Amino acid sequence: MSLPDAVDYPFAWEPPMEVPAGWRTLREHSLQPVRLPSGDPAVLVTRYRDVKALFSDHRLSRNTGRYPTSRISPNNEIFNDPEIDNDPPRYLEERSLVVRAFSARRIESLRPHVWEIADELMDAMAAAEQPVDLMESFAFPLPIRVICRLLGVPHEEHAKFRELVDGFLSVTKLPTEEVERCRVGLWTYLGELIDAKRHHPTNDLTSELVKISDEDQKKLSDHQLQHWVQTLLIAGYVTTASQIGTSMAVLLHRPHLVREVQADFGIVPTAVEELLRYQLMGTSLGSLRYCLEDIELSDGTVVPKGSTVMLSVESNFDEEVFTCPMDLDIHRRENNHMSFGSGIHYCAGAPLARMELQVSMEGLLRRFPGLRLAQPGEDLPRVEGGFLGGFSYVPVRW
Amino acid sequence: MTGLLVTADPTTCVTSCMCVYRAPEVFDQDDDGLVVVLDARPPAELHDAVRRAARGCPTQSITLTDQPL
Ligand code: HEM
Repeated sequence: MSLPDAVDYPFAWEPPMEVPAGWRTLREHSLQPVRLPSGDPAVLVTRYRDVKALFSDHRLSRNTGRYPTSRISPNNEIFNDPEIDNDPPRYLEERSLVVRAFSARRIESLRPHVWEIADELMDAMAAAEQPVDLMESFAFPLPIRVICRLLGVPHEEHAKFRELVDGFLSVTKLPTEEVERCRVGLWTYLGELIDAKRHHPTNDLTSELVKISDEDQKKLSDHQLQHWVQTLLIAGYVTTASQIGTSMAVLLHRPHLVREVQADFGIVPTAVEELLRYQLMGTSLGSLRYCLEDIELSDGTVVPKGSTVMLSVESNFDEEVFTCPMDLDIHRRENNHMSFGSGIHYCAGAPLARMELQVSMEGLLRRFPGLRLAQPGEDLPRVEGGFLGGFSYVPVRW
Repeated sequence: MTGLLVTADPTTCVTSCMCVYRAPEVFDQDDDGLVVVLDARPPAELHDAVRRAARGCPTQSITLTDQPL
């Protein structure tokens, strides 16, 4: 079977507040060749059933630093540490040490703290002059403070920590040397944090992992420990911030849905889930894999050995699985979207992200009953050239 | 009438928590965050929730078997 011509990836975010045009016809072919921002080639698996199956297929390796995998951008070495084995069985042993902190019970016990952080941020918003930028005043500070709490970063170091993280992840646009300075600075800081917890353990995930590592280096070496702490930061900060800001913008753009939520806050979890499915910020770049052997898709098309593969988050709009997928339905009952991936690499922080998103939506719509966009949703600027295409500026009034 | 037998495999569980969210009467987690079945033969009114929990599991770690009562 012949494949269609390669297209540029990610697709254009057009029309701005709807499902992008490029996503709608994507599933006509089960495999879509694409050009990544670096110019390197990859293939996008488009249909939900194939995406779901391939997330659990060991012929796709997540050790993209060990194989000749296509690059996302010319200089994106930061996510590929060749010393870390990202495939089973080794990877799963390490992952299991971390995800115990993300059980339903433990995440639920953090909920009151997340409410405290949200309340503080909303107090500051209420005192500021309108319009207020939801990204800067709420969406970014909330998850970074939650992660600080989870990892046990002391209060007086929050500002320094966030400066390094923002610089490293290029949240603030900085010259390359500055990004590099922040990358080194953050790695050094995390080493110091780990050392401090070794001598004075506190009640947080870093101290818990230090204890495991000190008991048995074979379970978790010092390098692996530091890598995991950094991964939680990288994977859990900008993703959650973008999703909080972008999903609120998508919701506020539809005032009748805002009123529906305000009439019954019990639907917040379902609405959060639907906005995760209908997210207009995610790309499939986060699910990059290297193909170790030819893999046949359900229609017989072959994913060739040696290709760089992405498992499509755009499969959230597959009509074979979702009823009226192009509609934003905040009451949708069966919603097994791919926004957190699937299989063994399923987002480790999903329970935390869900809880943060629920507190954010409920908090903002309760505290500011008249909350609305201060600028038409179609005109909101987007972040350029990253993993995520969320809005960079979301001005609101109430 | 048939009943439903619920089993779950903690060795493939990835702690997505989806089963606990969707059917908290039937699923729980141990101290390592791994799935535990609380009620292997849940009453009929929970079957719908249990089926949704099983479909939502990212690693298909939940098995449902229809059984004569
Ligand atoms: C709305 C917010 C978030 C989204 C959309 C998201 C999305 C994802 C996706 C799609 C993956 C799978 C990547 C792959 O298959 O290669 C993933 C993995 C991961 N996420 Fe998230 N994530 C979010 C929030 C978080 C948070 C809050 C944390 C932790 C504090 C976190 C930690 C992780 C980790 C550690 C992995 C790697 C898991 C593994 O490879 O086994 N994420 N995330």
